[in-house]
Amino acid sequence: MTGPLVGVATVFRRELATVVRTPGYAVLAAGLLVAVGGLLAAGGGGATGFVPAVVDLLLPTEALVPLAAVVLGYRALLADGASGELAVIRTYPVRVGEYVAGVLLARTVALVGVVGVPYAAVGVGVWLTAAPDTGIFATHAGIDSPLLYLRFLAFVLLLGAAYVSLAAAVSAVAASRRSAVALGVLALVAGVLGGDLLLLRSLGAGASPASIPGSLALTPNGAFRGLTFEHVIGVAFAPEGGFVSTGRAVGSLVGWTLLGALAAGATLAYGRRVDAAIERVRSGLAD
Amino acid sequence: MPDEPVAALSDATRTYGGVPVLDAVSLAVEPGVTAVVGPNGSGKSTLIRVLVGATEPTAGEVRQPGGPGGKSIGYLPQRVPFRPGFTARETLAFYGRLVGDDPDAALERVGLGDAGDRRVEALSGGMRRLLGIAQAVLGDPALVALDEPASGLDPGMRERAFRAAAERADGDTAVVIASHALDLVDEHADRVAVLRRGGVAAAGPLDRLLDDHDAADARELYRVVAGEPGTRAGDEDEPPGDGDERGGEGDGEGDDAEPNVHVTGVSDR
Repeated sequence: MTGPLVGVATVFRRELATVVRTPGYAVLAAGLLVAVGGLLAAGGGGATGFVPAVVDLLLPTEALVPLAAVVLGYRALLADGASGELAVIRTYPVRVGEYVAGVLLARTVALVGVVGVPYAAVGVGVWLTAAPDTGIFATHAGIDSPLLYLRFLAFVLLLGAAYVSLAAAVSAVAASRRSAVALGVLALVAGVLGGDLLLLRSLGAGASPASIPGSLALTPNGAFRGLTFEHVIGVAFAPEGGFVSTGRAVGSLVGWTLLGALAAGATLAYGRRVDAAIERVRSGLAD
Repeated sequence: MPDEPVAALSDATRTYGGVPVLDAVSLAVEPGVTAVVGPNGSGKSTLIRVLVGATEPTAGEVRQPGGPGGKSIGYLPQRVPFRPGFTARETLAFYGRLVGDDPDAALERVGLGDAGDRRVEALSGGMRRLLGIAQAVLGDPALVALDEPASGLDPGMRERAFRAAAERADGDTAVVIASHALDLVDEHADRVAVLRRGGVAAAGPLDRLLDDHDAADARELYRVVAGEPGTRAGDEDEPPGDGDERGGEGDGEGDDAEPNVHVTGVSDR
């Protein structure tokens, strides 16, 4: 009657229903649409074509998408734990891994709605309004194309998925909503700025500039930026590429996503034992 | 001849901040209704949480019913934790899908058949507890542990909540109820465990304990063993600041974060 898929699917349905019934996420999507559309209008790239639009959006996207993803994920695993419902759920035949997978899958689907839809809407806007003909479906060097924007959208969602997963890991560690917010902000700042600062520091310490493409791919933002340069912007302006190793960058984004999921699962699975072990040490010290 | 225990604690200890809240408790839970009584802060909620696996003991062992697949433990924390925004039926449907049980039948069992379309946050405290009991017994678990199922309820609702729980107890199923409602304990419990300062002061079949302590009823037994007057009928309002109430709040484990405080006389209301 029950199995891993039943557990994942049941948790997924409940989590997705929660997201759909939370008006704040619709507001978040609308806000993101306004922000992205506004940035594009202010930059003017959207009036020219997809690649100029991506150039305008690249930097703000590195902050906006992680922010939206963290908002989606920072309470994902905290909510049931904080209310005490997780203790009830764990009396049912659903493993921690199934529970985490169901929650994360639902939050990732929500990401597609909250982040993917506004970006797709902006892409449609560019298609309809850009002055030169942007309807050419090709990726030849120097030619703008909706396919390039679709690639950008895919990279955006990969970046968002990594941050949703990392934020969910943070939510598993957090003991309260306040600590979840604090940890989420910390993860956001570390993710958005930390990688670049480390890269600059390593260059300052004498690292070879030739190592940049390899190092860049290690952080979620670096991997996203490298992929966007390699497969979107560079296709039009620098077809020789070499910004980043595609496999390494995609692997990095997928790896961060899996790392977040594993960290979340391990925290929920072993948290009680760790808590008890700490208490044993405390009691030992008190004696 | 005593029944085979469904679950058991063996020298189970749990500390918070180095302070023992549950202190070397050994208790065999046999089929039937076992009431866990004791003053606020005596360790009732912690005992229930350790029994169902929601809290890891810092020492000792816990034996729980188990088996491949299925649900062997049903649990209702002191604060009913259901996610807001969902109806009673949707809430039970979520749990029901995990064990292949019917949410409507579960609602009917506790008399909430007409409240299925109401959101959980719109249910009264009593109805939420009944919903919690319906959840706990889904999937026919061998052990059902309920933490203060009658807390804060009017007399009719208290009786209904206790009866709904007690009806699950049979030759194979053990129902453990932590409660201050000693009149309902008298009426429904087969066995009683009286906790005092984290330890078991007395445990066994209710009739035997009454004889052993020359007590007329559970309230008198409570007074003799726990050293406090028992709570009157209807006085089982959720005690503010009950030291037992780490139940369910926090981060799943985090509700156990604060040390328990044994305050003699807190129950004297």
